[in-house]
Amino acid sequence: MLYRSRLNASDILRVGISGLRTRKLRAVLSALGITIGIAALVSILGLSESSRADLMRDLDALGTNLLTVRAGQGFGQNQPEIPENAPLMIKRIAPVYEVSTVSRIPGSVFRNDIIDDGRTRGITILAADLNLIATQRGTIRDGKYLDAVSSEFPMVVLGSVAAERLGIDTVSRHQKLWLGEQWFTVIGILNPLTLAADLDRSAIIGYGSARQFLGHDSSIEVIYVRSYPEHVHDVRSVMAATVNPGNPEEVMVSRASDVLEAKAAASNSFTNLFLGLGTVALLVGGIGIANVMVIAVIERRNEIGLRRALGATKFHIGVQFLTESLLLASIGGIAGILLGIFITGIYAYIQDLYLVLPAYAIVSGMISSMLIGGFAGFYPALKASNMSPTEALRTK
Amino acid sequence: MAYNENSSLLALELRDVSKVYPGTPPVEALSNVSISVRHGDFLGIIGASGSGKSTLLHVVGTLTRPSSGSVLINGIDTNGMSDSSLSGIRSSKVGFIFQDFFLLPGFSALENVANGLLYSGVSSMERNKRSINILERIGLSNRLNHRPNEMSGGEQQRVAVARALVGNPSFILADEPTGNLDSSNTDSLMGLFSELNSDGTTIILITHDLAVAKICSRNIIMKDGEIEDDSQNTTYQRID
Repeated sequence: MLYRSRLNASDILRVGISGLRTRKLRAVLSALGITIGIAALVSILGLSESSRADLMRDLDALGTNLLTVRAGQGFGQNQPEIPENAPLMIKRIAPVYEVSTVSRIPGSVFRNDIIDDGRTRGITILAADLNLIATQRGTIRDGKYLDAVSSEFPMVVLGSVAAERLGIDTVSRHQKLWLGEQWFTVIGILNPLTLAADLDRSAIIGYGSARQFLGHDSSIEVIYVRSYPEHVHDVRSVMAATVNPGNPEEVMVSRASDVLEAKAAASNSFTNLFLGLGTVALLVGGIGIANVMVIAVIERRNEIGLRRALGATKFHIGVQFLTESLLLASIGGIAGILLGIFITGIYAYIQDLYLVLPAYAIVSGMISSMLIGGFAGFYPALKASNMSPTEALRTK
Repeated sequence: MAYNENSSLLALELRDVSKVYPGTPPVEALSNVSISVRHGDFLGIIGASGSGKSTLLHVVGTLTRPSSGSVLINGIDTNGMSDSSLSGIRSSKVGFIFQDFFLLPGFSALENVANGLLYSGVSSMERNKRSINILERIGLSNRLNHRPNEMSGGEQQRVAVARALVGNPSFILADEPTGNLDSSNTDSLMGLFSELNSDGTTIILITHDLAVAKICSRNIIMKDGEIEDDSQNTTYQRID
């Protein structure tokens, strides 16, 4: 080759930028679609990961060593029950260090004795051990939990949901409740219990007061067992036989944290919906860029002719328009990532979540915007490079 | 052929060049055109609209390939050259000037002139240095950072001339360069061309303005894609 036309990498970038520089508003508007799409993807993935991380952090704090023992389904007509001596038997398992039980008591809870019996608000009465809150690693929002004295008197501690449904937010007024046809005084309100959400909807009283005031003497409904974390699986494997040696199949043992972990792992339908919408926005953004680039090629025929006259090869012209398209999409992508991070940050701050920005969301956001820029710019670049310079120069 | 001369002395040579645009019926824009242009010539090509002037300029400038015949630049036949090689010739051997200036909007005079070297492999710093020199040479040193919309038509065309000259080409191809200028700017531009030509720059200029053509040292009159008259042949005959 006698003569060679050359355009180095920095000049390719320079000519790519030149097209955007002279049409700033159009560049911003056409990159907006990509920005919205990428922002949606990054923020949705960020929010999902942040929520998941928050749940996992809670699980770490609450421990994964809590086993829940309930009566399962039997083969006979009678509903299986947990034997009375089960808690004692469980305590004999060496790695077990804490056991607490709850029993369901028939009846409802009302603000006073003139409310219609049908309006139960879904609140159940439970009799519980004094160490229930320790086993659950629960915390008190107001007042105190049952102790050796209060568990023998008509006193009640409310789960967080139960307190809300009854309209009680403080124990300072010594509020009385019509509980199982007796008056009980509210002495404590619990914070939500992550590992046993059903306790949130309960009014909890001591076994002593249950017997004395409500005449309750029914069987144990649930046993909560804490064991040393490294032996959880071993304890679980012997639990059913320990609780009911005669009919171990009638005992149901679960690990509370398993349910939450499964919940954390499952992406919910809203996440998928928003991811879908983000993808659609991204495609629309790509079509927008392709449209703008096609118009740019038609509008800038004189420039194409001039550049060819100045020595640009077909390849140089194609690369110029492809670079322009890639730059547009990249600008949109970077803006989208920043916006997505901002949205995630704001949401995490408001919801008091642990902020997680998944690297894969950012990297895939950038790569997908570049790919879209490449696809969107390919046809216009081809059209520009194949334009006859003489025709391009003649166009007015 | 009108005359034979050693090709190495020629900046440009066209041998029996024809250009036919396909269609029904096909249009023959150039028909067996042969021209020799020596280094330092100031050639004016005159003709009515549709006479083939612009096609001739585009063929000479390697923007389009002839349907038949040969185009030799500095004695080198461009027939069969790749797009990349022809582009290389344009970036290093040819300087274009257009009636509509074709300055890029949003770019300063300096940047527009530097674009003349963009595809020649010269570094950005060197491009700016050479562009400043050429703008100073043509009297636009006070307009370096002005954009096209901040300059008069005459000044814009001078910037376009600077862009064509900055690569130190073998010849300048000017397509109706005075077409959008008033008489004062036309005189000024033609004065600049004469000055450049007297410094040794080869210029091929298309015009339909006879007053402009008279300033050229040699005129070719075109009609219906053919050379109707070449004043150089007349001059040679007169000398002989």
